[in-house]
Amino acid sequence: MAEIHVIGQIVGATGFPEHSLFCKWGIHTGGAWKILAGLREGQTQVDNPQNHQAAYFSHPIDIHFATKGLQGWPKLHFQVWHQDSFGRNELYGYGFCHVPTSPGIHNIECPTWRPCGTFREQVSQSFLGGGPQLKNPDMIYSGADRYQLRTIAMGKIHLQLGIILRNFDKYGIEC
Amino acid sequence: MATSSVFLVNVAGQIETGEFQEFDDLYCKYCFVYGPDWLITSGLEESISQITKKSEDERQLFCWNFPLDVTFKSTNPYGWPQLVIHVYGLDVFGVDTVRGYGVTHVPITPGRHKRVIPLFVPESSSTLQKLTSWFLSNRPEFVDPRVVAQGEGRDVTRVRSQGFVTVSFNVVMKDMKKLGYDVLPSDMSTVNVPENVGVQQGQVSEA
Repeated sequence: MAEIHVIGQIVGATGFPEHSLFCKWGIHTGGAWKILAGLREGQTQVDNPQNHQAAYFSHPIDIHFATKGLQGWPKLHFQVWHQDSFGRNELYGYGFCHVPTSPGIHNIECPTWRPCGTFREQVSQSFLGGGPQLKNPDMIYSGADRYQLRTIAMGKIHLQLGIILRNFDKYGIEC
Repeated sequence: MATSSVFLVNVAGQIETGEFQEFDDLYCKYCFVYGPDWLITSGLEESISQITKKSEDERQLFCWNFPLDVTFKSTNPYGWPQLVIHVYGLDVFGVDTVRGYGVTHVPITPGRHKRVIPLFVPESSSTLQKLTSWFLSNRPEFVDPRVVAQGEGRDVTRVRSQGFVTVSFNVVMKDMKKLGYDVLPSDMSTVNVPENVGVQQGQVSEA
């Protein structure tokens, strides 16, 4: 079987309206893929930065995959949350990105969005906070069933991922 | 030579500089954190730098210029080494206090790499603790700095990021390709050079 190592970091997040952010991440693959070692999901620290430009997570990722097929190439999906001074959490954005297919080091910016709901919900959110969340988090990384959703842009998640491939050329796969 | 399943990663680099807004007289420690299949064959796994003042110009830079020289050996890239840097300085009462933790992976491709590592310190969980920790000079810190290289159990920590450290790496590898590992795209690692490059006309020999 061909093998892939994904070695890197969730570096941080920029462009969100407030700071004190954290991020939940997970990895989604097709059926032919198997995780041999490493964590498949996690949650970063909460960063409340001194200079209010970027939140830094420095969250390590180290996953070892084995695969029998290319379909369902792994995707990383994220949820960015804001934690206020009372410890309440509020959803700030959803996003996903594919694990790069070419070996080497990649700096990735993952754009995020959040559902914005109806006019009433938007007004109540601007006064009270909170806001709509996805009932089915699969929608973060699937293209089906998105057509009824109304969303708005949020910030970016910054990743640095190193990809090591093994035995791809033995099977004639060109990456 | 016996066929071995070991590859080597040589890291030569330095902790170059640091940027902090409000501190002075800082020193840093580093350690490498790596998985169970990895071993250091030569070099220092951890060390402590000198104490440096910040530069007396508008850059306000801390310069450590501190060497890193390590060779790793492993059978499996899982658990790839990470460099953990922690910076310390004296607080107003003259007590050694942590000023930041930071972590980065050793670059996985050969060549020269530069990393600007953000540093962060853990925060007190309440305002009262924040106050008492300031007066008693016992800021919260990690019992083992290696936790910043782990992905598990991070969700309970609240941190404040302050400052950066710049590190440069020069990475050389041995036997990665032999074991079937590709760390660079195939068009870069096996460059397709036309046969007539570097050969004078009429001198192409049949090999």
